[in-house]
Amino acid sequence: MLDLNWGLPVIGYLFLAGVGAGAFTVSSSVLLRGGGFSSDHFSVARYGALLAPIPMMVGTGLIILELGTFQAAIANGDIGLFFRWINLFLTINMSPMSIGSWVLGLCILVSLIYAYTFLSKESAPDDDKKGLRQALAWVGIPLGISVAIYTGVMLGATPARPFWNSPVLALLFLISALSTGVAGILLLRALFGGHNPSQKMGTQSESANAPNRATYLLASSDSLLIGAEILTVFLFIMFAHLTIGNPAQAVSIILPGGELATLFWVGVVAVGLVIPVLIELRYVIPTLLYRQPYAMPRGVEMAVCVVILIGGFMLRYVVVVAGQLTGPMGI
Amino acid sequence: MEVTQKTISRRSLIGNIGKGATLAVAATALPSPVKAAVDQKSVHYAMVIDARKCTGCHACSVACKAEFEVPLGVHRSWVEYVEKGTYPNVSRSFLPRLCNQCSEPDCVSVCPTGATYKREEDGIVVVDSDLCIGCKYCMQACPYDVRFINPNTGTVEKCDFCLHRVTQGLEPSCVNTCQGRARIFGDLNDPTSEVAKLVATEPVTVLRQEMGTKPNVFYIGADHSDESDLRVPGQYVRVDTHRPIQERR
Ligand code: SF4
Ligand code: SF4
Repeated sequence: MLDLNWGLPVIGYLFLAGVGAGAFTVSSSVLLRGGGFSSDHFSVARYGALLAPIPMMVGTGLIILELGTFQAAIANGDIGLFFRWINLFLTINMSPMSIGSWVLGLCILVSLIYAYTFLSKESAPDDDKKGLRQALAWVGIPLGISVAIYTGVMLGATPARPFWNSPVLALLFLISALSTGVAGILLLRALFGGHNPSQKMGTQSESANAPNRATYLLASSDSLLIGAEILTVFLFIMFAHLTIGNPAQAVSIILPGGELATLFWVGVVAVGLVIPVLIELRYVIPTLLYRQPYAMPRGVEMAVCVVILIGGFMLRYVVVVAGQLTGPMGI
Repeated sequence: MEVTQKTISRRSLIGNIGKGATLAVAATALPSPVKAAVDQKSVHYAMVIDARKCTGCHACSVACKAEFEVPLGVHRSWVEYVEKGTYPNVSRSFLPRLCNQCSEPDCVSVCPTGATYKREEDGIVVVDSDLCIGCKYCMQACPYDVRFINPNTGTVEKCDFCLHRVTQGLEPSCVNTCQGRARIFGDLNDPTSEVAKLVATEPVTVLRQEMGTKPNVFYIGADHSDESDLRVPGQYVRVDTHRPIQERR
């Protein structure tokens, strides 16, 4: 690949940490608020809870691959260097990466215990783990949001990388994390929805329609999130473009004529944002305006989730690469 | 002597209680008049590079490579060539590059392990290769692209003003070898030193001043032209970095 200090492992990590943190936040808030999901909210929360720790842990594993000491350990067979990353947890300072590592570690830990409370197929809203589950959900919301934001703050804290050095970036990553988290939950539901425990409960009359109601709510909140993300992308570009000097110069790499323009406008904007939001609205609007039954075919639902996830990855890819290909002007 | 002791105690302490606590302990342990005396005595190392005297011979780069056995493909110090103009109005100048030992170093503020820190006693920014994990965050944060991963150790390295030499009263190796005496090294806090006099009397510049890191490498007569100036119509500029990375970053 290009000569980049931070390559695919970091890109994958930023994406996966976002999905996990987003799923954790969404799951916790759905569990606590119900959010109109009625009896089905528990199953939505369960999918989110079981999903959340996995991408976060895989992402953390990936980022270790990018460490110079780890690569040297493999190249030279030096065992001592393998675990050099422990140094991150022997201290804490004001570096965004230091704070972020601690928050991420804590978030993975809490999300694992949270997932454990949902692990049993028999888990129900009022079982004996209810208290623990709810307490963890209260912690989960701020933790998930912190992890999602820190990834943007970490990149943003570098004036030497004018493309990243924007306060809008952290917001963009947060919204993208939430929206890819929702897509992850929707995808899991679409894949395994047949065996979902809430359907077996089928006592109330509304619960027959409940799976649809839940996907409707998830899809409509997701389109809202994507709308906010499009707005944030617009702000990100405008503020950089309207500045004179380094930020304007840096952002031109994704504007028409720039090196990464195609990747950005096709991969991030079209595939990741515009196409999925249009498909979602196609199914959400009739239900929203005319109270028609919500019926997104399962195949379409999965396809939408997949493109949202691809878009989330492309966003991290373009941002991480663009930041390193551009720099301060002059010397 | 005092210098080495300080380094060691810092290393061992940092693992246990972290930077903030170390500083707090040091601050409370010293009565304030003593502290003031230490501050006054402290050294502020700086370098002046007189680009007018540089012939682009790369002796400094070679001396540096030899001094630290810097692996192939990476550099602690290097010399860039800047060519510009349109025939017959052309110029060629040379820009020796190294870590600026900044007074407000971005590399230090992002380092998550405390491996990169600025020495209080002389202002040199160093990397503790026992602490560094090779996360490369500092390489992103430095506006001068002077940091690199040593492929043998996986940790970050950069120029440290030849710490092992200057603490023994010697000049940095590049200064020692410079045949045009383009590189001048000394203590900025000592008004009688050559660097202090030059900085006070010559029109010195620093690189990328707008980055706000307050570099301590000062240039006399440096050509700040860059290839990004090509955007000015009719202006021809070519920079040869003599590094595998051909662009300035
Ligand atoms: S030049 Fe770069 S590495 Fe050196 S002190 Fe300044 S910011 Fe740090
Ligand atoms: S690479 Fe090493 S010196 Fe640089 S920020 Fe990471 S731990 Fe600190």
